[in-house]
Amino acid sequence: MTAATPGTATGLFADLDTPDPLDARFGDPTDPANPAGFDAFLAADERGELLPAGRQVVDGFGLGAEFVPRGLGGRLGQVDDLARVLRPVFRRDAALGLGYGAINLISSATVWAAGNAEQRRWLADVLLRNGQTAGAYTELATGHDLVRSRLRATVRGDELVLSGGKEVINNIARADAATVLARTSDEPGSRSHSLVLVDLASVPRDRLRFLPRFRTSGMRAINLGGVEFLDCPVPASALVGGAGEALETVLRAFQVTKAALTGATIGSLDTQLRTVTRFALERRLYQRSVADLPLPRAVLAGAFTDLLIADCLATTVCRALHVLPRQTSVYAAAAKYLVPMLTQDCVDELAVLLGARSFLRDGPYGIFQKHLRDLPVGSLAHAGETVCQATIIPQLPRLARKSWFATPPAPATLFRLDEPLPELDFDRLEITAKPDDGLAATLLDVEQDLRDDPLLGPLCGQLVAELAALRADCLDLAPRNRTPLAAPISFELAERYAIVLAASACLGVWRHNQDHPDPFLRDTAWLVAALGRLTARLGRDPVPGAAAVEPAVFAALVERHESNRGFDLVGRRLC
Amino acid sequence: MTTPKQDTAATDTAATDPDAIRDWLLDRVAFYLERPVTDLRPDVKLVEYGLDSVYALTLCGDIEDEYGLELEPTLAWDHPTVDAIVTLLREMISGNR
Repeated sequence: MTAATPGTATGLFADLDTPDPLDARFGDPTDPANPAGFDAFLAADERGELLPAGRQVVDGFGLGAEFVPRGLGGRLGQVDDLARVLRPVFRRDAALGLGYGAINLISSATVWAAGNAEQRRWLADVLLRNGQTAGAYTELATGHDLVRSRLRATVRGDELVLSGGKEVINNIARADAATVLARTSDEPGSRSHSLVLVDLASVPRDRLRFLPRFRTSGMRAINLGGVEFLDCPVPASALVGGAGEALETVLRAFQVTKAALTGATIGSLDTQLRTVTRFALERRLYQRSVADLPLPRAVLAGAFTDLLIADCLATTVCRALHVLPRQTSVYAAAAKYLVPMLTQDCVDELAVLLGARSFLRDGPYGIFQKHLRDLPVGSLAHAGETVCQATIIPQLPRLARKSWFATPPAPATLFRLDEPLPELDFDRLEITAKPDDGLAATLLDVEQDLRDDPLLGPLCGQLVAELAALRADCLDLAPRNRTPLAAPISFELAERYAIVLAASACLGVWRHNQDHPDPFLRDTAWLVAALGRLTARLGRDPVPGAAAVEPAVFAALVERHESNRGFDLVGRRLC
Repeated sequence: MTTPKQDTAATDTAATDPDAIRDWLLDRVAFYLERPVTDLRPDVKLVEYGLDSVYALTLCGDIEDEYGLELEPTLAWDHPTVDAIVTLLREMISGNR
């Protein structure tokens, strides 16, 4: 693709001024009469059920097709596109977004990665007719330590017989299909588990028992349940991939799901920020609007910046699945770890600004407390913070030794938002990262050009110093600190690394989108703000003068709010 | 006490004869387990020493760096002892020459 001139609408940016189609189907969120507005979602949340009108919108849109690869008749092409398509659902209700949406990616990704043609065809058909699926991977006793999960599949003649239970499984009681992780060998180690694709409609019902629903503090509407297989026979052809290959398949497929889910949940943060921005502009204190007071302005500008950081990291990691598939084992874990943490800190600050309205369960700002409760549940869903850090930690010493300050920067394609990507190929995703950390190297590359900038120069300098310090600390890491049993020091290193990656992503996105139709994203104010927030997290001193960019960031936030555009990198019109 | 204290991965002196490969691998395993190398036997499954799936993946990265090879990261899942890995590496290294 040739470089577009600024303002020229191509591809991704062609529809900036037409409302997002899925958001338009949901209609005005703040209209109390809208059956798919915030009030309706709040009431459904109080009842603990997925809003039927919300499900209708999702079904009418044919969301299931978004999770099905194009080659199988669906619309799944680029993972960054998928994350953006899901955002309007998360803007309304994370329970709908996860429990009736993204869950279908989590359950199907392993089949796209390792299933045979017939299994892929069958599961594609389920999703294309808006069927529901469940990913029965975890057991409560062993959590994400999948190697120790116990549900068993035994070969008996031309059948596989499943016995054992899976708990805290989204959607299981209403699913048409379930991907089940089962032990197929007694040997210890990583070759003892296999994946089984179960057609829940065709198994004998007396060999299947659904466990009572788990009730939750947030995402109250999700159907978190469990299942127990009682010597339940399924055809031997239900085995996905080879026997003993489950762990490997999961390690590849979950890179895709972690990245997509992280990108999708930015929709929730959008709603939180939009709700509090509206409050600050409407609410009058001391004869002025709250938005005119310095502290609220700083909080709002900071939250907008955090949202942009989250999108830079999430989008870059989604694109890396296509461009740098050898590296995404560590990148996807970093995004799934850092973005929920940034988001949590950010909404905690927004809650202070909203005051008492941050916990009122109805009224014009009632949606805030719902998203606030949903967030921690969503952060843990699929792969929690600790699991993601534990994925990063053992990989750090090799990256430090072989890659940092040696690998060349990532190609521009990784960051160019409107540039089409090569097809996603699950086989190319490596289960551990190779020592080719192109994303971290982008920091060093862009830093060279920014040395003379009075704000970006020192900010980049701090980040390069951080990467150097990180390198030394990772090389010094004692062996036991390179494992999931590591001391807190290792978890801190994983956090610092994730922050450096986020900064690199911001720099790459800024550098390689100088044709973005929004001049705000071509300019440096947001980048200075973003690097300032990230270096502050690293405990670095503020760069003198950097705070001066705040009015520009705040003005862009208000402009996006008033023109009813998304706060993310693309900034498309909402309904 | 012969527990390796230092991270000796990628020493640039990659040895290719089987005994040297075996010694180097045992050193790496001892390093991760923080146990004396003399405690370890090359014919015992790594998982029995507590070298879990994660270590096994890390060990594979070390071997790639030491011998300049591209390996399946699951190598130590499928070749579960030091001896089994040595046999595989010997074939690969002689195949490369």
